[in-house]
Amino acid sequence: MTIALGISDLGKRFGGLVAIDGLSLAIDDGESVGLIGPNGAGKTTIIGLIMGELRPDSGRIDLFGKDISPLGVAERIRCGISRTWQIPRPFANLSVIENIRIGSMPDSLRGMIFDRSDPIRERELAMSVGLAKNDLERKASDLAMGDLRKLEMARTLAAGARILLLDEVFAGLTVGEIDHIAAVIQNLRSRGITFLIVSHDLPALAPLIDRAVAIDRGRVIAEGPLDDILDHPDVRDSYLGR
Amino acid sequence: MDIGRHHLALWAIAAAGLFVLPSLVGSGILRTLILANYLAIFAISWDVLSGRTGYISFGQPFLIGIGAYTTAILTKRFDVPMEISIPAAVLVTMVGGLIVLLPALRLRGSYFALVTLALMELCYQLVQVIRPDITGGTRGMSGLPTLTRGASNGYYLSTGLMLTIALTAWMLMRTRLGLALSAIGMDEGAVQGAGLSPTRLKSFAFLASAFIAGLGGAFYTHYLGSIAPRALFDITFLFTILAAALIGGSGTVIGPILGAFFLTFLLEWLRPLLPGAERYFVYGLVALLLYMYQPAGILAIIERVRVRLFGDSRSG
Ligand SMILES: Nc1ncnc2c1ncn2[C@@H]1O[C@H](COP(=O)(O)OP(=O)(O)OP(=O)(O)O)[C@@H](O)[C@H]1O
Ligand SMILES: [Mg+2]
Repeated sequence: MTIALGISDLGKRFGGLVAIDGLSLAIDDGESVGLIGPNGAGKTTIIGLIMGELRPDSGRIDLFGKDISPLGVAERIRCGISRTWQIPRPFANLSVIENIRIGSMPDSLRGMIFDRSDPIRERELAMSVGLAKNDLERKASDLAMGDLRKLEMARTLAAGARILLLDEVFAGLTVGEIDHIAAVIQNLRSRGITFLIVSHDLPALAPLIDRAVAIDRGRVIAEGPLDDILDHPDVRDSYLGR
Repeated sequence: MDIGRHHLALWAIAAAGLFVLPSLVGSGILRTLILANYLAIFAISWDVLSGRTGYISFGQPFLIGIGAYTTAILTKRFDVPMEISIPAAVLVTMVGGLIVLLPALRLRGSYFALVTLALMELCYQLVQVIRPDITGGTRGMSGLPTLTRGASNGYYLSTGLMLTIALTAWMLMRTRLGLALSAIGMDEGAVQGAGLSPTRLKSFAFLASAFIAGLGGAFYTHYLGSIAPRALFDITFLFTILAAALIGGSGTVIGPILGAFFLTFLLEWLRPLLPGAERYFVYGLVALLLYMYQPAGILAIIERVRVRLFGDSRSG
């Protein structure tokens, strides 16, 4: 098995606060890993470090065996990794299809100006995450939370992502919307996309992952099948308060 | 957005109208139209940057000033022909655009706006201190060569320049580049998250804005035949540019043009009624009220009237 995403000995401080503390993690190609932990454990920070939005103080990150530490955000995305946000960040005044278009653009001025967009691919991407045909021209600011999360996934896929980092995918969703998003993720898994999924909603998370990693205070405290690590005493302590 | 046959006819009528206009109206109105054309160019320059990316720049007088001074100094002090001095002025202004860009790589919102405002004041001071024998100091320069003689030629030149700039900007902003620039104004971090480099996009917007400002500034100077630092590096000038873009409808190309014509004619019509400085007070008040009534600008008001008259058919 090739390792899609390898993190070794990652460290990040915010002033005096140690947010990530010598964390290591490896995800196989095509694998889906759940990342759980209490509020403030460092889940979002890890995603920011992987994407290059935050600079680590130590450690390295490999993508398919290649050290991506020197790369900027845009370059990492071109390597096939993308994220979604805990609070969705659509381009509010643009339509659904235009949002997806931004994700599928080449990162070159010449390409943006002279090459045409590919409306068929844009539609396919929208459909592949379960957005309805008559949603395509709607403004993103008019969408419900469930559709916003779908839109974010479509935008990341448009950028050519093979590894998706999903931050709190189920936050703010109704039961029906959770089922929808879960079906989309399952579908993408069957197509070989690799996932790191952060969620507090453990019942919803369970069927979507091959294994889970529990962290607290920036450190891995347990790793394995979700059911097993939920029984782990450290994990229980971290969730019940410190 | 297909351009239908009746659209083409409309454009043809408009073009013909613009062409015969000088034989229909007096030179006073033509001079007002010329001023409106240049203001429209400056407002487009502002909007290409600020109306799209959301980086509110107060640096337009600074950029226009660089373009104007460069060509003025080259022609007046060094006898460089305008065919060379104007392109040179545009290039120098684009370097100036990079100076405005630098703070934008670190600062957002009001901090960025303040820094660009400081550039304008800095220029006003520098012009007086550094080699006033070349810049003309506080008094500026006069007797510069002009590109055209007479109001009607000035009108044709400025109209042609404005329409060329407007059309180019419009076509550029219709591409995916325009979309990406607007996306920066909504969420720069998410643009980065979509795999695009905001720095490259911003640099383009700043350079395009500077290009237009430099071109407009240079032509404007050779229309006036003179240059006056207090008229150029001035808060009233800055306000007029911003007001034209905002009350016309920013984030579009046609909006700043509408705003520029509205404001220029408003100012001219107020002149006989209020000869003194209180004219600017009324003028500011009108701009403010209009903006409060419809922040999306005159363009949105026209659109609403159109919908009320003809229904909501989005054919054009
Ligand atoms: N930009 C920042 N500056 C300072 N401290 C930060 C910053 N970002 C995160 N932190 C701190 O780092 C720690 C980890 O935060 P992070 O957002 O990664 O947690 P999380 O596991 O995603 O939590 P949640 O479940 O609430 O989303 C927290 O204590 C947080 O306050
Ligand atoms: Mg978080």
